[in-house]
Amino acid sequence: MFGTYKPLWGKKPRFKSSYDAVIIGGGLHGLATAYFLARDFGMTDVAVIEKRFIGFGGAGRNTAIVRANQRTQENVPFYRKALDLWPVLTRELDFNLMFYNCGNLNLVHSEAAINAARMNIATAQFCGVESHLIDARQCKEMMPALNISEDITYPIFGAMYHPPGGIVRHDAVVWALAKGAAARGVHIHQQTAATGIGVENGKIISVDTEHGKINTPRVLLSAGGYTAALAYRLLRIQLPISVLTIQAMVTQPLKPLLNHVISSGAYHVYANQTLKGEIATGAHMDPWPNYTTQTTAHYIKHQAEALAELLPCLRGVKFMRHWAGLADMTPDMAPIMDGNDHVDGFYLDCGWGYFGFKSCTAVGKYMARFMASEKCPPILKPFNLRRFEQHRLMGETAAVVNYSANN
Amino acid sequence: MALTLTCPICGERNGYEFRYGGEDKGPRPRAEDPAPGHWCEYVHMSPCVAGIRKEWWYHKDGCGVWFTTERDTTTSLEVKQPEKTR
Repeated sequence: MFGTYKPLWGKKPRFKSSYDAVIIGGGLHGLATAYFLARDFGMTDVAVIEKRFIGFGGAGRNTAIVRANQRTQENVPFYRKALDLWPVLTRELDFNLMFYNCGNLNLVHSEAAINAARMNIATAQFCGVESHLIDARQCKEMMPALNISEDITYPIFGAMYHPPGGIVRHDAVVWALAKGAAARGVHIHQQTAATGIGVENGKIISVDTEHGKINTPRVLLSAGGYTAALAYRLLRIQLPISVLTIQAMVTQPLKPLLNHVISSGAYHVYANQTLKGEIATGAHMDPWPNYTTQTTAHYIKHQAEALAELLPCLRGVKFMRHWAGLADMTPDMAPIMDGNDHVDGFYLDCGWGYFGFKSCTAVGKYMARFMASEKCPPILKPFNLRRFEQHRLMGETAAVVNYSANN
Repeated sequence: MALTLTCPICGERNGYEFRYGGEDKGPRPRAEDPAPGHWCEYVHMSPCVAGIRKEWWYHKDGCGVWFTTERDTTTSLEVKQPEKTR
């Protein structure tokens, strides 16, 4: 307890003047990519540079939910790969990631929403992912705390039940990936901001940082909510992104009562019970772009009202902590993963919105393959940046989102 | 601190009364200029400035006026313009 502080991922590495690859952003996506570059492709001469400290951003601010019940046939298989990797990584990294496979219940509150859920379920089944429709009584049987009466604002009609999902301890993933990557020789440089990217004849040649220049032939920009601003500042590449603040909060710890993750589009709320017993709940975004991580009283009230209707036993329970993080939203609610397009050796991973945590393992695996082979793996092809220019937006959202710049 | 915006008609009001209408990107590309890259840039792309930028806002729960104002995205606060007339 009083010993000298030593990070789990070893001593502070020497800052070298050249690396085979530089990853900007020491979040889950950056660390996972570094880990898989080392594990699968023997690329260990890799630097992860992070302006603050690893796990500062979305990695430690999300609500730890993992699932593969998205809407389109391009996205579902990708998130499924990510889900499949949790038990593998827990074993391989020798670190308890606390994957609690409790399943997700997406509550539906209207006939129209039932039909939308049916389509999602059909897509899931087509992709080999388990998801089914259950009615309100079955919801109640599965989760007795749920209020299925008809005298609430949005009575529950049923739910889309997705057993493969659950929650994962997010900080443990940061530490485990950092440990696994560092043990294989990856250098993690904290408090090292990227200040420039050197390009010569259309190829990446270097990255400038606060602590000096790094010569490198490839760079991955994977800085979560800050990616779009950095892409423009460092390379003058504009992205179809709006960065919004998303808030979440936890209640005081309670005895086990929520044995599934629940979410409701109509109430605009999701909730899960952490392994410590707190009810972690969130979803709200103020619909205007900003880079603050401020929380609002407005939202505490909304959340209390929604939870008190859905889970009346939570009335009177106190919220304990309330925080916010950044979500980089694209117009089609699907991410952007691309490389070697504008500049050879430049790879991009952004636009995850609030899906960054649940996707991090698969992003690491496939972006590493992309960077090592210089060929885009087929599973990543639909997520290219050119889709916006070609009007081939994905159908992750059924309607145009109202925070995007021009609608 | 929560967002407060200055409506040209109603004055300073709570940010939740307004709807964000996008960054002020200048005039819309002409209809006879269908270059996809150009159009895509206008419709979707943004430099995502961490700092001051000019934006459109609509006073939806108020007088219904559309106006532009400058806001700092790192603080989410409106940048006060002394020359602005009420």
